[in-house]
Amino acid sequence: MTGTLTDAPDKEQARTPLARVARLLPVLGSLQGYIGLVLVLLIGIVTQGDVFLSETNLTNAVGAFSSRGILAVGVTLVILTAGIDLSVGSLMGFCSMAAALLLVNEQMPVWQIMPLCMLAGAALGLVNGIGTSVLRIQSFVMTLAMLSIARGLDREMSDNVSVGTQVAGPDGTLTPEAEAFQQLGTPGHNVLEGVWLPFVGKEGVYFPVLAFVVVCVAFHLLLSRTTFGRHVYAVGGNPTAARLSGINVTFVTIAVFTLSGMLAGIAGPIDAAYSAAADPLAGTSYELDAIAAAVIGGASLRGGKGTIVGTFIGALILTLLDNVLGLNAVSDNWQLVIKGSIVVLAVVLQRPDLFRRKEKA
Amino acid sequence: MTARRAATGRAVEGGAATGRRTRPGPHAGPLLAMRAIAKSFPGVRALRGARLTVHAGEVVALLGENGAGKSTLMSILAGVHTDYEGTIECDGVPVTIHSPKAAQALGIGMIHQELNLVPELTAAENIFLGREPRTPRGTVDYRAMDRRAAELLTRLGLEVPPRRPVKHCRIAEQQLIEVAKALNLDVRLLVMDEPTSALADAEVRRLFEVIRDLTADGVGVVYISHRLEELEEIADSVTVLRDGEYVGERAMADTDRSELVRLMVGRTMDELYPRGGEQRSEGPVRLEVSGLSCVPEGGSRLHGIDLSVRAGEIVGLAGLMGAGRSEVLQALFGAYGAGRVGGSVTLDGQPYRPRSPKHALRKGMALVAEDRKAQSLVLANTVRFNTSLASLDRYRRPWHTVDRRREREAVAEQVDGLRVKAPSLNANVDTLSGGNQQKVVLAKCLLARPSLLLMDEPTRGIDVGAKAEIHELMDRLARQGTGILAVSSELPELIGMCDRVLVLCEGRLTGEFHRDAANGPRAEQEALLTAAMAREDVVTGTGGGDAAEPTAGDGTTDPADPTDPADPTDPADPTDPTDPDDRPDTTDTTDTTDTAGTDDDAGTPGGDHR
Repeated sequence: MTGTLTDAPDKEQARTPLARVARLLPVLGSLQGYIGLVLVLLIGIVTQGDVFLSETNLTNAVGAFSSRGILAVGVTLVILTAGIDLSVGSLMGFCSMAAALLLVNEQMPVWQIMPLCMLAGAALGLVNGIGTSVLRIQSFVMTLAMLSIARGLDREMSDNVSVGTQVAGPDGTLTPEAEAFQQLGTPGHNVLEGVWLPFVGKEGVYFPVLAFVVVCVAFHLLLSRTTFGRHVYAVGGNPTAARLSGINVTFVTIAVFTLSGMLAGIAGPIDAAYSAAADPLAGTSYELDAIAAAVIGGASLRGGKGTIVGTFIGALILTLLDNVLGLNAVSDNWQLVIKGSIVVLAVVLQRPDLFRRKEKA
Repeated sequence: MTARRAATGRAVEGGAATGRRTRPGPHAGPLLAMRAIAKSFPGVRALRGARLTVHAGEVVALLGENGAGKSTLMSILAGVHTDYEGTIECDGVPVTIHSPKAAQALGIGMIHQELNLVPELTAAENIFLGREPRTPRGTVDYRAMDRRAAELLTRLGLEVPPRRPVKHCRIAEQQLIEVAKALNLDVRLLVMDEPTSALADAEVRRLFEVIRDLTADGVGVVYISHRLEELEEIADSVTVLRDGEYVGERAMADTDRSELVRLMVGRTMDELYPRGGEQRSEGPVRLEVSGLSCVPEGGSRLHGIDLSVRAGEIVGLAGLMGAGRSEVLQALFGAYGAGRVGGSVTLDGQPYRPRSPKHALRKGMALVAEDRKAQSLVLANTVRFNTSLASLDRYRRPWHTVDRRREREAVAEQVDGLRVKAPSLNANVDTLSGGNQQKVVLAKCLLARPSLLLMDEPTRGIDVGAKAEIHELMDRLARQGTGILAVSSELPELIGMCDRVLVLCEGRLTGEFHRDAANGPRAEQEALLTAAMAREDVVTGTGGGDAAEPTAGDGTTDPADPTDPADPTDPADPTDPTDPDDRPDTTDTTDTTDTAGTDDDAGTPGGDHR
């Protein structure tokens, strides 16, 4: 064996420029999401030029999609463990309603509403996790049930009526709480004004954009840098091997569903503020957009494969696509058709082996 | 015997038909000739100038280390890879095999190394998958299907009911079901890729009978195996590949193991088992188990097992398939959780209660699981990810982040130390060959720095070179004070590597053998087998020697001594088909060893029973 196995050095150490380029090639291949992103941008620029590129438009586009993008991060986490979370849309709806009711009925300040909503989402996510791991219900079934349960609670809580968040005080102007709540996402309201931030300077930043970016960065670091992230990939890639490697598979499973629920708790108030109201049907079918974003970003429903960077790009593609199609006055119906086709295309492009013959040695 | 013959006769219908087809007119050349085959994968030249010739009625062994290109060559033949260079001729007619279907039309059947069965379907449904017999009404004729499936299974010595779902069959049974599936086809050329990797000796013997039946009918067989002793028995000629190139072809009768090994690895291999040097010194007791019992889900029960492993000692666990060997390791490692395991265990002098693999790892245990793909590796991830997976906590910084630099250094050290052949640490493990994958599993276990290493079939399905390296590693670890408890289905390996071998039968300890070179290898071999099959007088405790008295005339399994590959004239080969006395014995033995099948392998290097 000495003769034949010696060429096993770690070629990582070969840090010549050429070797670096060579190492990047497969990465580029797997991230053709970038190409999609550039294409959508190009279409937007060519067809709508200035309108598309204007700050207002882009801010609105991202703001409209932000809540779904945040959900997509949680869904990615679950998908990485080879599960699926269909309940995120309902959980978000539940949390947006909870946020609106807390604001309207309790006059609670934003800084209390947000953690409470996250807690509520996490609690429902925890139920998903326990059902999946301890009761061993397939995650599809468990979260499908939760989709229904959370939606039911949401509608019961609101008596099936939309709850506006622009609460007026006795003097006819917005109460201070409602004023503050608008910061969460009502278009035209920025947070952190006066604080210098990269890219935007001191003008402040639109909170949904900020929240989406922060969530993405945080979860990207969680997945790529921490032991927990490794465990998530291991559980999705091979649960038996993960268990025999000393990983608590039950804990990891419960944790990803709980985190997904918690992210729905962040998305809820944002959505309520963006729409200026919590609709009992808010978030319906958002889970599909979230899953689509993850899948376009390269996540495999078989688990163990996918990144937050990919999901971020996937979410951006869907965002800008929505926007570009809207600007070009493509009807909603055709938008759905195009979105669906793009999901198929993205998945096919990620599987170059489809075009070759099966290469299983 | 008669009944089986009859069943065989019927089941061979396909084979008989092909027998007629194998002589299409005047052509007298080879059944199959592959010439100058070349095939590249991105970044790797898998094959160049490979060739293979098979005549009707011939068993050609295809030999080479893992990664030598055997599987690639066979995939080309099966129509899996279509973009190859070179020519393939069937009966002297050039053919292009552009799909698996085309290969089937040419009468080429494949038994893949990886099992291709549908777990949820029954044995019979798997055997007839895609060609189910129909009733006149057009529904599946389950009765005919089950009957024919039962015939095929009986022919292979399996007593699996045709209606048993494959997922409830043991690996050995699944492997034979795979063989039955191929037999059910109308094949002229049958490729068997490691068909015996999970089979016990008696099952191997039955399979060989079937192969001989097939060749008598004019079917050509390409047989891939790492077990040289099997090739000596079944193959007519042998073709050797090395690094994707054709190295040579020999008639089996004109060659010997040392030559084959030399052809394969490019050097002579003096010793298969590194027992040279002085005796390993044994330290304090690492593991003391008494009355271990366990009721695992879907495994064999254990009934009160006592054993101990000292530091610096390699203890082997032998037994037939289903004897509960893997279950002992899994139970000790905590894989069944706390509730299902009874008995008392002491680890390094401390009471130890198996709780979870996590707990076991923390206590200094590591497990090399039986099935590396299903149980040990995250295939879609990198060498680095897999190697460090069980010991990530050691590279933990605040906030539970991983210190990736230290992690990479540690992984690189292990990977280099084990000479894992991988393009980089960031290569996915599913791109590595079996031997290298196994080395990654070992690297993972070693990185956890175990003081007690549990190894379940540590060398299954890997090539001779990697195997020798793993044996060396086991010896080195033991010398450094690690206690090793190893399960293997290959008796020569156990006897060659272990200081003591414990024999399990139906979840009970039935024998214990110490290494002691006083008696001949054959005696130990026989004694081990007897203990492994001792259904009645189950002996617990340490005095297993009594139950293991060698039984006269039961030397059914004893292919040549693998510690000495240079000796081609090994006299101890009672499986020789020319020996009329042994054959009926073999089959009788099988019949009494129940459906679970046997799980021991042949061969006996020095050492003996007590």
